[in-house]
Amino acid sequence: MQVFSRRLFGLLSVLIAAVAIAACGGGNDNSNDSGDSGGGSAESTPAGRDGGEATFAYASFPDYLDPALSYTVAGWQALADTNLPLLTYKRVKGEEGAKLIPALAEAMPEVSSDGTTYTLTLRDGLKYSDGSPVKANDFEHTIKRVINLESGGSSFFTGNIVGAEEYEKAGKAKGDISGITADDATRKITIKIKQPSGQFPFILAMDFAGLVPGDTPFSNETKSPPPGVGPFKITSVATGRSFVMEKNANYPEIEGLPAAHLDKITINAVTQDSRAITDVLQNKADYYDEPPSSDALREFRAQAPERYRGEVTNSTYYYFLNTRVKPFDNPQVRQAVNFAIDKRALQRLFGGLLTPSCNFLPPGMQGYQKIDPCPYGDPKAAPDVAKAKQMIQQAGVAGQSVTVYGNDEELTRNVTEYLASVLTEIGLKPQLRIVNGDVYFQTIGNQDTKAAAGFANWFQDYPHPYNFMFLIDGKSIQDTNNQNFGNVDDPKINSMLAAANKKDISEAAPDYAAVDKQLVTNGDIVPYGNRVLPFIMSNRMDFQSALFHPVLQAVYSTFALKG
Amino acid sequence: MTTDPLTDYSSDAETSFEELGSSEAGRTHGLGPWHLAWRRLRRNRTALAFGLLFLALIAVALLAPVYADHVANTTQNRQRIADTLNIGGKEVQVVSFDGVPTGPTWHSQYFIGADGNGRDVMVRLLYGARNSLFIGIFATLLTTFLAVVFGTLAGYFRGVTDAVVSRALDVLWAFPVLLLGVALGVALATGGLHIGPISIENNSLWIPTLIIGVVNTVYLARPVRGQVLSLREREFVEAARAQGAGALRIMFSELAPNLITTVLVFFPILLANAVLLEAALSFLGAGVQPPNPSWGTMISDGLRFIVSAPLLTIAPGLMLVLTVLSLNIFGEGVRDAVDPRARVRLEH
Repeated sequence: MQVFSRRLFGLLSVLIAAVAIAACGGGNDNSNDSGDSGGGSAESTPAGRDGGEATFAYASFPDYLDPALSYTVAGWQALADTNLPLLTYKRVKGEEGAKLIPALAEAMPEVSSDGTTYTLTLRDGLKYSDGSPVKANDFEHTIKRVINLESGGSSFFTGNIVGAEEYEKAGKAKGDISGITADDATRKITIKIKQPSGQFPFILAMDFAGLVPGDTPFSNETKSPPPGVGPFKITSVATGRSFVMEKNANYPEIEGLPAAHLDKITINAVTQDSRAITDVLQNKADYYDEPPSSDALREFRAQAPERYRGEVTNSTYYYFLNTRVKPFDNPQVRQAVNFAIDKRALQRLFGGLLTPSCNFLPPGMQGYQKIDPCPYGDPKAAPDVAKAKQMIQQAGVAGQSVTVYGNDEELTRNVTEYLASVLTEIGLKPQLRIVNGDVYFQTIGNQDTKAAAGFANWFQDYPHPYNFMFLIDGKSIQDTNNQNFGNVDDPKINSMLAAANKKDISEAAPDYAAVDKQLVTNGDIVPYGNRVLPFIMSNRMDFQSALFHPVLQAVYSTFALKG
Repeated sequence: MTTDPLTDYSSDAETSFEELGSSEAGRTHGLGPWHLAWRRLRRNRTALAFGLLFLALIAVALLAPVYADHVANTTQNRQRIADTLNIGGKEVQVVSFDGVPTGPTWHSQYFIGADGNGRDVMVRLLYGARNSLFIGIFATLLTTFLAVVFGTLAGYFRGVTDAVVSRALDVLWAFPVLLLGVALGVALATGGLHIGPISIENNSLWIPTLIIGVVNTVYLARPVRGQVLSLREREFVEAARAQGAGALRIMFSELAPNLITTVLVFFPILLANAVLLEAALSFLGAGVQPPNPSWGTMISDGLRFIVSAPLLTIAPGLMLVLTVLSLNIFGEGVRDAVDPRARVRLEH
């Protein structure tokens, strides 16, 4: 999955950025609405009945069903309801849903004055789904498993927690992470981090930190997922084909985290999108997690509009323009491309499943402030191609050859071809390079490739604006595995980001909004929209109460059969 | 009256007797094998009709720029995704809000509709024909050249040369052609081909041409080698050798002319195979690179709209079927005319 690969290769950059951010994080009320394009309630308001069974379809079997290892949306959606971490997000829509709340911890962490020590207390009386008690020391074991199993999420912890890197280097599973201390009697957990980091609370809320018992083996437990604390438990797995989630009788009601309504969910991996969509339409399956834009989906919308809605994800789709490669080293040329891109056309290329935008930050992200008026015209109106042509002529680069990169995944190729056609129209001479999706981001992230322009996107790992902004921060630039594909290195933006990163997120949100505006005005990249995910259900399900969360996406504990 | 060119030789025999009769009256006048072959081909109306169909396809492909410039008023890659057309006083979106391209307008613009990127499918179909036929023809010429050179060398010199060439062909034979083509195509699609002074860009049509030309070589090289092995023992070769002719001269002057029949019989079938392989490679993303159109890439692109805009898949598929069918039937006609006893097929 593209999102998956981007995440993997974005880790290093995220961590480099994380160490520079001072003060602890928290919520803020500065973001606008989530941009939900369809129905659904603003808050989870279950109207369905408790009990019953449902069958879900997955586009593919999750990468892992072990919280230490899973790094895909499919895996996270299931594990978010089976293995809660110390902190999590309130199960509601909109900006409230992006706020951290305590999950297995009694309260939000106490942070020392120097911002490097976090103290949390485990809730009293917690039990895993197998009935065994939850202990404070299980947290260290949980983090050790992530590191020891060389999980894609290990660098989140080795880059922040004191002693985690040493634990990794020692290679001893039962070794100690010096920065984590826990007392089972008092249920206190103390975590020392290397430097103050506003992102660390969000890292504690990632699925990697979902608690597992202290005797969970140091191995991939997908075949028999470890017990956890959550509304559901995974009771059987047929690897690669299906798995079953059942209501966890040991789950205590936690404020903001509802218990499960359904007794049992059977999740089957399907190979054909059209069949899965048709199955949901015909009530043979109750939910499909990733329906792509297709004839089958259009048929679904036509026949059952009351069971369809589009959910705007916290994602940004954009074209990068390499500021180190001619002719895009000239700001005038970059701005010309911004003037020429027709965002309405791109919306159509995505089958309507894209919300045109002028901003780089997505609407659901803290720090988002709609850039209005957009310096390149209304994103929902026709572009100014004539002006773009004129600017290219003025810059004296007409006829200049540029390499345009994209990958062979569905739609991405079409979107890249569109960029090439626009560059041709304004007077440049694009050379299209379509690279295999598995190696695409490594290819364009290698400075030797000298990719002049191309496709890029980003889905949030956690709701902090720097999780997007590191993509255009000058200090993120690397020779290989570079995520700042356009090598954006504007001193003004760099200093603005450095200043924002030192502040608490509640204070820094307007600063990130200013960076967003500066970036777009410069024309360093060409953001064009936020991806919309179709949300479909069978007629058996209570559609309105089913929550699509701004961070966690589908929350199965809110799914219920009709009353 | 229908005749089976494989078994009906009465007409040829009759002609020969007539010619014999006239020779008795005056001078002896025999018909050459090419004349006889042409006569047999002319009588195979089906093969001729499909041969003409193939020529028509070439003509249509050559006229693609004329159609694009003067009829459709667009280019093969121009995208008008968010535009609206006025067809017969009616406003039509080139691509709808939810991404479905318009169907046939039966007017000069978007005659058989648009694709998902708002491009004129008819224009791309014609340019696709140019690309597919360009690759097919040049790849088959390359195959023929390589096969004749290596087959002749192996068959004439035998020994070590034969062992090396034959084993190399065995290795090539051992690979499934499509897999080999995909592997080479994917590798070259990113960076192109750069060997010494030879430099081919990744999106050049010469990349799939070279790949197909090379992987198809084995189909013709083996029969050529077999024929040369047989020919080199014939009296006319012995005679040339006795007169002091060198190996090169024997190969070019004595053997090559006798290989023409084999090449002629194989050429249309190899061409059909090359066009099919190009479509398959392009369908899988390892052949013609975007934004260049090819029937294979057009079929691949059209699959997303198989229900809402089926013509996107059917039109290039139909062109592909017509091309391969015409080449195969014409090729069989040529085979029957040139060498009626031959049984030619490409083994995979």
